[in-house]
Amino acid sequence: MVAASPAAAPPRVRKTSRKRPLMRRELLIGILFVLPGLALAILFKLVPLIRGFVLSLYETRGFEDPTFAGLANYRRMIADPAVADSFRNALVAFATLPVWIVLPLVLAFLIFQRSPGWTIFRAAFFLPYMIAPIVVGIMFRQILAPEGPLNALLTAVGLAPLAIEWLNGPTSALLSLTAVALWSFFGLGVLTYLSGLATLSEEVLEAARLDGAGFWRMLVSIVIPLLKPVIGYWTVLCTSGILIWMFPLIYALTRGGPGSATVLPEYLVFTTTFQFLDRGTGAAIGMALFVFVALVSALVVKRMYAEGKAKAR
Amino acid sequence: MSVRTSPVAAAAPAMPARSALFGASALGRWLVTLLLTVLAVATLYPLFFTLLTSLKSRSDFAQNPLGFTADLTLDNYVAAFERMNVPRLLLNSVVTTAGGLLISTVAALFLAYAVTKLRIRGGNLIFLFIIAMLVIPSQVIIYPLYETILTFGMGGTYQGLIFTYAAFGLPLGTYLLAAYFRAVPDDLIEAARLDGAGELRILFSIMLPVSLPAIAAISILNFVWMWNDLLLPLVIMGGSDNKTLMVGVSLLSGQYDVSIPLVSAGLVIALAPVVLVYFVFQRQILSGAIAGAVR
Repeated sequence: MVAASPAAAPPRVRKTSRKRPLMRRELLIGILFVLPGLALAILFKLVPLIRGFVLSLYETRGFEDPTFAGLANYRRMIADPAVADSFRNALVAFATLPVWIVLPLVLAFLIFQRSPGWTIFRAAFFLPYMIAPIVVGIMFRQILAPEGPLNALLTAVGLAPLAIEWLNGPTSALLSLTAVALWSFFGLGVLTYLSGLATLSEEVLEAARLDGAGFWRMLVSIVIPLLKPVIGYWTVLCTSGILIWMFPLIYALTRGGPGSATVLPEYLVFTTTFQFLDRGTGAAIGMALFVFVALVSALVVKRMYAEGKAKAR
Repeated sequence: MSVRTSPVAAAAPAMPARSALFGASALGRWLVTLLLTVLAVATLYPLFFTLLTSLKSRSDFAQNPLGFTADLTLDNYVAAFERMNVPRLLLNSVVTTAGGLLISTVAALFLAYAVTKLRIRGGNLIFLFIIAMLVIPSQVIIYPLYETILTFGMGGTYQGLIFTYAAFGLPLGTYLLAAYFRAVPDDLIEAARLDGAGELRILFSIMLPVSLPAIAAISILNFVWMWNDLLLPLVIMGGSDNKTLMVGVSLLSGQYDVSIPLVSAGLVIALAPVVLVYFVFQRQILSGAIAGAVR
């Protein structure tokens, strides 16, 4: 039913008397207005999700007709070392999260000092985020090549032992992938933190400064506690990002190699489905990944809903 | 869409009037600038390297892969244009990005208006349903999504990718617009209704002008991810003539006989439009107009 306004001022009360026809029209218009958006969301997100779940219960062999197989795909998935590897790789990538969280924070706080040229630095640090990850990946294939500029620099400054084949060792490939992803996304973090810093009270910062707090002291004792919600939000974003931002980078940099060293779950969904044509198992891995991503990003949705829903009228 | 875009980042970092920390010490401020300069150079170097490589001839690059060179050439760009059929790829990217952006924004406008200003039952529930779609990234449903698009007979077509883009851009757009619409007093809408204005009229002549900053923000955010996306066009367009620029670039880099300078030229072509947009809308992206909506 229609939310009757609690602030029922006299004019509103009068309106109730001729409510019925008006209401029905409003309802019709309401339905027409929400229909295109709802249709898009249902047809292109909800329906595929449901179809994915159904597909995960079917045995598929190449192009043959699928047959119902219950939880066989899930059993196969759990027993499959490739799946275990991909989730283990994701765990290793998660271990780099502190860098994802702290580096943009320090940069944002440095920019926040408004030293000469700070607007240029803000623009420069955000530029990588604008560039397509597939482009970033191909670009860094050259940067990280054995004879590439990174190794040339390391050799030039006397760190020749560090000039390794970055994309060819199991550990170094995964860490390189994560580092390239960080290059691609840290600018978003800087901007996120800057928007949080802008809400801090000038007086508090000024008072701390007059008390003689230095850069780190200020960062640790004042800025971090006050920015907790923003830091939390960015952490959630990076956590889901490590699970869903990497596909184009893996596709361009390593194709999952060497071996399965850089296969992350989202890439495994793609290869299982489109390369090994095992759509049922691909869908099952997709569902497993969905559960993880949904749990993490539900936190973002919860916040958005709390901010955006209609307040009780 | 993945949760790649940040509603918080859309909020403008409005800088305080003076330095928070080193305001008094000129030396300290210049040290910060020096440190940031070093970091910025390191950040931008890969882009510079790619640009430089794209301007070297094949033999030049073989002899001198890292350093500067005097004779720069545009040959790689000519070759990349021919090999990738750049005009067609550009057209495909423009059509699908513009289509997705337009449909997504219009659908979000109607939705946000309905759940905020039309007193329909379950408005909040519909709002929650739409933004909850954020938790479904394209990666986990990519095959069933492709299957669904095939069911609609839209495989390899513009509309298949456009509707998908629109659906994935919808949650954030609805969220941002709803935040703007809530700020418009109900009394204003009520008064317009009493004056005989229809809902469409109210939406487009009262709500739309107020929410232009939000629409600018949504358009920029959607442009960036739709233009840059790889997985959706890769799967939906496959090898068809309708593939986008990003798919074209990834195919180019996979060809065995292609030289690194040529690939670099392809990369520069692929990133140029988005960098251009960045420079033109820098102010909106980094500060100011995009903002307010979010909090």
